[in-house]
Amino acid sequence: MVFQEMILRLTEYWAERGCVIVQPYDTEVGAGTFYPSTFLRALGSEPWRAAYVAPSRRPADGRYGENPYRFQYYFQYQVILKPSPADVQQAYLDSLYALGIDYREHDIRFVEDNWEQPSLGAWGLGWEVQMDGMEVTQFTYFQQVGGVDLRPVSVELTYGLERLAMYLQGAQHGFDVEYAPGVTIGDLRRDFELQHCAYNFTQVNAPLQRQLFDSFEGEAARLLDLELIYPAYEFVMKASHAFNLLDARGVLSHMERQNYVQRLRRLSEGTAKRYLSLLPKTEPPKAETPQTETPKTGAA
Amino acid sequence: MATLLFEIGTEELPSWYVSQGRAGLERLTAERLTAAGVAFGTVRGFGTPRRLAVLVEDVAATSAAREELKRGPAVSAAFDAVGKLSRAAEGFARANGVDPSELFKQETDRGAYVFVRKRLGGEPVVTSLPPLLSALVRDLPAPRKMRWGEVEQPFLRPVAWLVALLDDTVLDVSAAGVQSGRTTRGHRFLGGQALELPHAHDYEAVLADSSVVVDEGKRRDATLTAAQRVAATEGLTLVSEPGLLEEVTNLLEIPVAILGRFDERYLSLPDEVLATTMIHHQRFFPTRREDGALAPYFVGVSNNEVPERALVQRGYEGALNPRLFDAQFFWNVDRNRSLSQHAWGLSGVGFHKGLGTMADKVMRTQTAALALAQLLGLSEADKETLSSALPIYKADLATQMVGELPELEGVIGRAYALAEGQRAEVAEALEHGVRPGTPGGPLPTSEPGAVLSLADRLDKLIGFFALGQKPSGSADPFGLRRDAVAVARTLNAQGTRVKLDQIVRAAATAYEGGTPAVTEETIGSVVAFIWDRVAGLLELEGVPTALVRAVTADAPPVVTASRRAHLLRALSQEGDFAQLLQLYKRAANLAKQSQETEINPKRFDSPFERPLYEAIPAAKSALRELLVTVRRELAPWDLGSGPARELKNLPGLPDVLALKAPLDAFLDNVLVMVENSAVRRNRLALLGEVSGSLRELGRLEVLEGLSS
Repeated sequence: MVFQEMILRLTEYWAERGCVIVQPYDTEVGAGTFYPSTFLRALGSEPWRAAYVAPSRRPADGRYGENPYRFQYYFQYQVILKPSPADVQQAYLDSLYALGIDYREHDIRFVEDNWEQPSLGAWGLGWEVQMDGMEVTQFTYFQQVGGVDLRPVSVELTYGLERLAMYLQGAQHGFDVEYAPGVTIGDLRRDFELQHCAYNFTQVNAPLQRQLFDSFEGEAARLLDLELIYPAYEFVMKASHAFNLLDARGVLSHMERQNYVQRLRRLSEGTAKRYLSLLPKTEPPKAETPQTETPKTGAA
Repeated sequence: MATLLFEIGTEELPSWYVSQGRAGLERLTAERLTAAGVAFGTVRGFGTPRRLAVLVEDVAATSAAREELKRGPAVSAAFDAVGKLSRAAEGFARANGVDPSELFKQETDRGAYVFVRKRLGGEPVVTSLPPLLSALVRDLPAPRKMRWGEVEQPFLRPVAWLVALLDDTVLDVSAAGVQSGRTTRGHRFLGGQALELPHAHDYEAVLADSSVVVDEGKRRDATLTAAQRVAATEGLTLVSEPGLLEEVTNLLEIPVAILGRFDERYLSLPDEVLATTMIHHQRFFPTRREDGALAPYFVGVSNNEVPERALVQRGYEGALNPRLFDAQFFWNVDRNRSLSQHAWGLSGVGFHKGLGTMADKVMRTQTAALALAQLLGLSEADKETLSSALPIYKADLATQMVGELPELEGVIGRAYALAEGQRAEVAEALEHGVRPGTPGGPLPTSEPGAVLSLADRLDKLIGFFALGQKPSGSADPFGLRRDAVAVARTLNAQGTRVKLDQIVRAAATAYEGGTPAVTEETIGSVVAFIWDRVAGLLELEGVPTALVRAVTADAPPVVTASRRAHLLRALSQEGDFAQLLQLYKRAANLAKQSQETEINPKRFDSPFERPLYEAIPAAKSALRELLVTVRRELAPWDLGSGPARELKNLPGLPDVLALKAPLDAFLDNVLVMVENSAVRRNRLALLGEVSGSLRELGRLEVLEGLSS
């Protein structure tokens, strides 16, 4: 099965299960979770189901194409279901079946993997799904997004499309995956990948990106005060990308890094609170909050 | 007599929780049944990634009849001026379903109150069990629960189904958004997804027919046997490490072992690196040839009996290969420099503003480690090992291998140390010094390793607390709770018999004359923070937090506190203990008013003083003996996972409790605060002796929950 057909099959599968098929957003993000379709829609009580391809940029993850599994630009397939349905694991396994993977023929495991995105004030508990020892999907029940306890809880499925494709096609390298008949991912993306790696690691203009981060942060805060949530959140995403570039360039000390993450977190939390405050007041009364310790806090 | 089955079906639990959850459910079930007056025989727990269950034999048909004393309003509020019952008192009687004439007065250490004797028990368990079972789901201790869907009640992972059977009868239990039935589920891929259980007894057999080995021990044995068998086909034996078999066992419901291969050129990697790459990344068992050398084979244990094993085998090999490729690359690059050269690289890595670079941190850790080694009385050989390890401690943080595979910190330090000719003990200290790597991860077992680990984490706690960065609420950006948990677990497992505050103080010497300034207050709050974690860990072992406060109030060594906590927990299950405690508190309260210590038996002038006086030595020596027994029974253990043995049938317990009768008689009949000052002082001294006699258990006077 070629790469583009995998996207079509997943899209068809999740559309049949009531998902809105959202189109990729036009701002750089590190993961599909950043999309307003997930970050904002996970908030509040309205039911929501969406699926989409999320082209993702992780500047620090690039390896000039030398590592067969790691790229600074890749596609996630993202599904968000709110509230999380009781049969979501089986629905996920059936989606693999739609990709031509018969789960009865493989060793498919749900292995604990807790997810956290401090810059979004978000965390959740769940699994990485392993197929014959290889991670192919992140499966997360969001507990908090933007620092807000979620009611109801959404579940997020993130398929690593390149990984799955390598497996399905028996490809040894991400670039060797056939994207369309006769066309590989390498044909489409090799130069893009190599040039961006060179940019990310050696040519990012650090003073410019620092300045951009400051400006984006200021703009996001200003727009939030005007209750222009969506434009404000776009600047949060832009600030996050500026941070990712600085991080890849290797110019941030541990302390500075923490500091940038805290600033992003404040913006994300501010966005979430403003967004919620503007939702129609149909929220049921909030019940007593049970244990919502963040996953960082350890065993006690 | 009936058999009770209760199964909590879940989406996949974390592998580390399966054992803990199974043991917790066993313990909690027994506790709750006992508290409800329901007689029962054996309790057997089961656990797999998809279920926790208990099977209780010989459950009585009705709960035992018993009486409970309930306190109502104070006497002053219970009667009006003419001695008529007030509305509050009538309401109290009504709420307890008794006639107001059944109320009676009784003195307590807080004054006189009205009480009612409530007759409980005799209910059929069919009606009393459902709420009890539902509460098990709610109260099962777990470190990190979650919510899902629209369900408010949290659990470890979403609860998918519940089975509650008393013999062949379904008990009507609802919990975590699920209603119980007699339908369980088999293996996710190999078994039926709606299995009717005719009778509680059928549980293990029905699941076995549906490809689930529900008994954890049997599944572990089956996993090991299956893995050994496929290894033997190539004449190989398995390599394991602590926890690997358990982890593999609790990631599956039925074991299907598969032998895989990797490229022989990777055999040039040191065993450590090769084995840990297989174990840590893929949970594969490495294998050895007869001559002891690692073989280019591994065993993966699948959770599925597939039509074509070769397909899964290829998948396993494909997943391992890039890991080995990376490991080889880093191994080659990193060894161009020695560990001490890598250690220089740490000065370029920031730790935290106000606490300097990683190099600064390592330097402080060195000072703290030497102070701790002195305080804890390490042997000369261990001190020498520590001294050799200190300059290269955490040097592996600067290597590419750890940069890429941070979870191998320490393990890699050990491998590189061995490769450059360090002694095995030094290499081991480097590895153990960064344990535990995860909240539930293995602890250091070598003494130099434990000292390094303690020094590192205490330095971090002290530093951040001194900067005013104490965690608040759920915010803990620097993971300080995890560090405090590590300190508590390490001290308990090492059986360190030095007081906690002395240990923190020794570690704090690294900050002397530097910044940030460490005050007595800093040390006090670090100590209190660690005690909070001890309480949390003991709670996981079923010890109520209220008890922990009593055993930690005099700041003992951690292991002393946790032993006392388990002793108190055992005592608190004795009916007489609550009454003794009540009397003890009155005695302690009175004795507090004087500093008298000298008792003169000649001045006894009531028939109640001498019996009490004479009961004290026996109680004291019984208690001392009890503490010795407890120390013997409870060998140092990994706090939070429960000691290896339960405290049961403690000798000496009756002798401690024998203090109750004479104390009761004394307090009921003797007026302590008499005019004659010599008699008064003598009586106060006697009570002081009584309260002192139980001191070794902890500060019992802070106990609240048990007194009613």
